[in-house]
Amino acid sequence: MRQLLRDLLVFFQRDLRIASTYRSPFVLEAVEALFGAATFYYVARFVDSPALRDVLPQGKTYFAYSLIGFVFFDYLNVALDTFDRSLIEARDSGTLEPLLATQVSLPVMLVGSAFYPFVATTVRIAVYLGWAAAFFGFPLRAANWPAVAAVLLLTLLAFSGLGVLSASYLLLFKRGNPGKWLILGVSGITGGMLFPVDILPAWLQVVAHLNPVTYALDAMRAALLDGAGIAAIFPQLFLLLAFAAVLIPFSTLVFSWALRRTKVTGTLTHS
Amino acid sequence: MPDSAIILDSLEKWFPAALSGWKAYLNPFSPPVFPALRELSLEVKRGEAVALLGANGAGKSTLLRILSTLLLPTRGTAIVAGHDSVRDPSAVRRSIGYHAGSDLGFYARLTGRQNLQFFGRLQHLSDECVRQRVAALSDLLGLQKNLDRQARTLSVGTIQRLSLIRALLHEPGVLLLDEPTRSLDAIAAAQFRQFLKIEVLRRQGTSILFASHTMQEIEFLADRVAVLEEGRLRAFETPVALRGATSSASLEEAFAKLTGGSLQHSDGNSSV
Repeated sequence: MRQLLRDLLVFFQRDLRIASTYRSPFVLEAVEALFGAATFYYVARFVDSPALRDVLPQGKTYFAYSLIGFVFFDYLNVALDTFDRSLIEARDSGTLEPLLATQVSLPVMLVGSAFYPFVATTVRIAVYLGWAAAFFGFPLRAANWPAVAAVLLLTLLAFSGLGVLSASYLLLFKRGNPGKWLILGVSGITGGMLFPVDILPAWLQVVAHLNPVTYALDAMRAALLDGAGIAAIFPQLFLLLAFAAVLIPFSTLVFSWALRRTKVTGTLTHS
Repeated sequence: MPDSAIILDSLEKWFPAALSGWKAYLNPFSPPVFPALRELSLEVKRGEAVALLGANGAGKSTLLRILSTLLLPTRGTAIVAGHDSVRDPSAVRRSIGYHAGSDLGFYARLTGRQNLQFFGRLQHLSDECVRQRVAALSDLLGLQKNLDRQARTLSVGTIQRLSLIRALLHEPGVLLLDEPTRSLDAIAAAQFRQFLKIEVLRRQGTSILFASHTMQEIEFLADRVAVLEEGRLRAFETPVALRGATSSASLEEAFAKLTGGSLQHSDGNSSV
C-alpha cells in the first residue's frame, strides 16, 4: 500500500513539474475563472425572479445554483478525459513502452496520471468559487467543508470508473470513445447542472436518477450552500459509493481484459 | 541469478490481420493468422551477448517485446532470469533493462535528470540510489553536462544515451536492446558499443540480447548470433562459426547465404 501511494505521488510530482514549466496558463486560467463567474452572475441576474427562486431546491439564487452545477460538472469531464489522455500522451510521446517496462502496472500508471488533473480541477473550482464569493456575493460562509470533501472524494471514485471504461475502449479501438460524449451529453441534460431535474419529463427523470452526476451535484449544493453535514447528505453519499462500488471493479475487469487483449494483438502502443 | 539469462522454448507469436474501416472494430476480437515467431528455442547464458540478426519483419523486435512483457506469446515459454514472462511479468521487469532504440520516450519539458529520477523511482529505487546511479552512469557516458537540460533540447545521441542509463538504473541482469545505435553517428555509435562491451558486459556481467542490422556492431559485441528468417531460427552460432559454416568472408555474406538473400557489390556483380 505504501509503495502504491509512493508510485502515485511520483506521477503527481511528474505532472506538477511539467505543469510548472508552463507558467502563463495558471494566470490565464485564473483570469478566465473571473470572467466565467461574472458571466454566470449576470445571466443569473437577468433570469432571476421570485418564481425561479421558488423552484430551486437548495440554491438561494440561480447564480449559486448554476455556478456549482457548471464548475462541478468539470469533474465528470476530467474523469472521462484524463485516463484517455494520459494513455494517448504516453503513446504519442513514446513513454508508454519505457513506463510499462518498469515495476508499475498500467492501471497504477493511469490512476497516478489522473491525480494531477483532479487536483488541478479542484484548484480551478476553488478559484471560481473564490472569485464568485469575493466579487459577486456567492454564499461560501455556510459551507460544511468536511461534507464538501466527502462529496468530492466519492464523486471522484464514482466518476473514475467511467473514465477507466473510456480508457479501455481507447486501448481496444484506438479511437475517441463515442460513449464518453454520450455520457457527457446525457449528464448535461439529466444531471441537474443548470436546472433542477424535477422540470424534466418523467422518463428523463428516471435517467437522471440512474446518473451519479445527479447525486453528486445535489450533495455538493447541499453541503456548500445549505451547510448540510455528512449525516444530512448520507443518502446521496451512499448512492455515490454504490456507483463507485459497482463501476470501479467492473471497469478494472474490463480494463485488464482490454490490456491483455492488446498484448495479444500487439496493438498496445499503436495509435 | 540462474546460469541461463534467457531460455526460449518453442516460442511462437501470431498476430491477427490488420483490419480497416468499420471492420477495425472487430480487430480486438479477430483470430491470430500471421506468424511472427515460429518454434523458437534458444538459450542466452549469463554474461553473454547475443545478437538477433534478420531482415525487417524477421521477428527480432517481437521477441524483444515478449521478453520485456509488452507482448504475450501465442505458444511456448520465455524464461528471463529464471522468471516466466507470462506468469511472473513483474519479476521479469525487475530483471531486465529495455532500450527500444527510439529517439522518443522522455518527457520533453523535464530535464534529463528529472526524467531519470522519475523512471528510477518507478523501478522502486530510493532517491539516493537513483542519484548515485545517475551520477555514475552519466559520468561513464559523458552526459554530466547535459543532464540538467530539458529533454526537448537534447540531441538524438544524448537521448539514446539517456535511454541506456534508464535501462541500467536498477542494475538489471539482462539488457534488451532494439537497434540501440540506429540513430547515432559513427563516432557516437562506436562510443556506445565500447560502453556496452567494457562497462555492461565485462564489468557488470550483464547479459545482452540485442537486435541489430549493423554487422560491425554484431562482430564487436556479440558472443553468438541468432539468425532469424520469417520468425524461424536459421542459425545460432558465434560470428566466426557462422562465417566458417557458410564459407563466407564476412558476417554479411554468411547472413545472406543463410537466408537466401543476395549482396550487391560495388562493381555491380552480385554474390550468393
